[in-house]
Amino acid sequence: MYRYDEFDRQMLEDRTSEFRLQTTRRLAGEITEEQFKPLRLMNGLYLQMHAYMLRIAIPYGTLRSEQLRRLAHVARTYDKGYGHFTTRTNLQLHWIKLRDAPDAIESLAEVGLHAIQTSGNCIRNVTADPYAGATADEIDDPRVWAEAIRQWSTVHPEFSYLPRKFKIAVTAAEKDRAAIRAYDIGLHLRRTRDGELTFEVMVGGGQGRTPYLAKTVREHLPAHRLLSYLNAILRVYNRESRRDNIHKQRIKILVNTLGVEEFTRRVEAEYAVTDGADIDLPDTELAAIRSRFHVHAFDARPAKSAAFEAAKAADPEFARFTRHNVHPHKAPGHAIVDVSLKVPGETPGDATSEQMELVADLADRYSKGEARIHYTQNLVLPHVKLDDVPAVYAELAKAGLATANIDLITDIIACPGLDYCTLANARAIPVAQSIARRFADMDRAELIGELPIRISGCINACGHHHLGAIGILGVDKKGEEYYQLSLGGSGDEKAALAQILGPAMPPGQIPDAIDAMVETYLTIREDGERFLDTVRRAGLQPFKEAVYVEAR
Amino acid sequence: MKVLTANNLKNGEVVFWKGGQWVIRFHDGERFAGDEDAAPALAVAEGQPTVVVAPYLIDVEEIDGHWTPIAFRERLRALGPTNHPQHGKQADGDADVEALRSATFVARSAGRVKLIKR
Repeated sequence: MYRYDEFDRQMLEDRTSEFRLQTTRRLAGEITEEQFKPLRLMNGLYLQMHAYMLRIAIPYGTLRSEQLRRLAHVARTYDKGYGHFTTRTNLQLHWIKLRDAPDAIESLAEVGLHAIQTSGNCIRNVTADPYAGATADEIDDPRVWAEAIRQWSTVHPEFSYLPRKFKIAVTAAEKDRAAIRAYDIGLHLRRTRDGELTFEVMVGGGQGRTPYLAKTVREHLPAHRLLSYLNAILRVYNRESRRDNIHKQRIKILVNTLGVEEFTRRVEAEYAVTDGADIDLPDTELAAIRSRFHVHAFDARPAKSAAFEAAKAADPEFARFTRHNVHPHKAPGHAIVDVSLKVPGETPGDATSEQMELVADLADRYSKGEARIHYTQNLVLPHVKLDDVPAVYAELAKAGLATANIDLITDIIACPGLDYCTLANARAIPVAQSIARRFADMDRAELIGELPIRISGCINACGHHHLGAIGILGVDKKGEEYYQLSLGGSGDEKAALAQILGPAMPPGQIPDAIDAMVETYLTIREDGERFLDTVRRAGLQPFKEAVYVEAR
Repeated sequence: MKVLTANNLKNGEVVFWKGGQWVIRFHDGERFAGDEDAAPALAVAEGQPTVVVAPYLIDVEEIDGHWTPIAFRERLRALGPTNHPQHGKQADGDADVEALRSATFVARSAGRVKLIKR
């Protein structure tokens, strides 16, 4: 498991005392709100609807148990005893007081956590495959590279005032669990036939009001040149992007204005004059990062576990849990266990301090002290022995964390929406709750199968509505909350943007509309088709007819 | 009518103006006949940067004997998040809170007074 070194620790200490001083000066009236706002935002502190919100970075979604425990402590001490996990694998605390914020940040820094670069026009927290280091289908641990990017990009003087925010996601597996094509830069690590590690570098993805999937600018970048290539991309962006219209300042706009060929040509030209030796990590440094992740010696175990199989046979609910929340691990006799934060009727992505502490304890007892955040707003215990899965399940169930619905219709992504966020036009959470309640019958949910629903409360798309098999966007229609449905999106390796289905509708009609689409799918699906496959084959028309007849 | 609102600097809490003080309940807030009437209070509020952040006026109406903000966003600010009814000002759960909750007319921005009324 990665631990910050002395430089990181010193930086966090310095930043904490700097922020404490800034806050003191603001409270004393020595600096104005205008002067203070960018400073607090650089430390992840927003002012929202009801209070300040602290957005805490969780680099590549990996937490040591002591860090998760500390998040629980900070949520309990400085907030209302819960937190909200986001699609950028951050944790948001929604009830922070400005006068407490320096203490909260100091407490986080003690375990190597912080809120730096979770806001502002800089390189944000880097996300990665939540199954990194555990899944058999990866060719390297992508977090090694995500950590290299974190070190390079943290308080980078040249890239602290970019035209807009900048998000990077990394995977090293063919199955994309990090939605890499939805970000400013998506990185896919592969191994060539000669055994060389290379990155496919994709640039210009993003959701928001102008959604694009990232386009490939380099198919095989030698992995050890990653930072200098990223540097070249950022330089071209920083130099050539518009800065006169906030809606046109993301790199996706530059890529699509220039065209990917011309953009690539400019990046390659910059890269050609980049002094790699000055930027790229030396192999020794990379090896040092790698060694800090490598702590797991997995016991040699038989691939099958009698205890696991017996529990499955004895308890149908546990069997259901294993069908949806338990995934293959690279080490025989082990499993990756998904912890759903999607109890139907509850807030997607919310966890109480007690729940976080329980997951931290389970991580210590059963998962080598490690937990992960999945961008779908769930948690992961990455290294559980199959023998231990029944015990883990039993503990999770007691705390309301064993909902067997990963990737099912009730595993809904929802942003905080208008309930908390000052940018939102409409609420997202109650819509998610109403849909999840409608489909709370687990047998029916299982019959329907994989069906990712994604809900955003505004066009900024924090709730990934462009990537939902069903996407729902909250809009303000003449002052009322209305919701626009779209279909056919996907954030995986076959990424696609959802297409708008038809006119927006009030929230009360949404569960019926979803139900109508589900019934249509169940009627017309062919063997083995998921909802998304049926939409791709049959098109929008059958669903459009179902919704706009039924919902009338 | 108008009510003057802001967020408390120290804790971020939504506050309302009442005769030179800031109060935390919407129904305790002072109501002004219009922008002109509220202008002196707004000017004082804007001169309190160590007390509140971003003071502004909102439109309010009386419905069945209860005052309520016209804008849905402002009703949420006056209540708290709908997913956690025990959080925020709504935790009191009294008649004033119920009136805010049951207000059904909607308009998000202040300029849309009486646009839709059910």
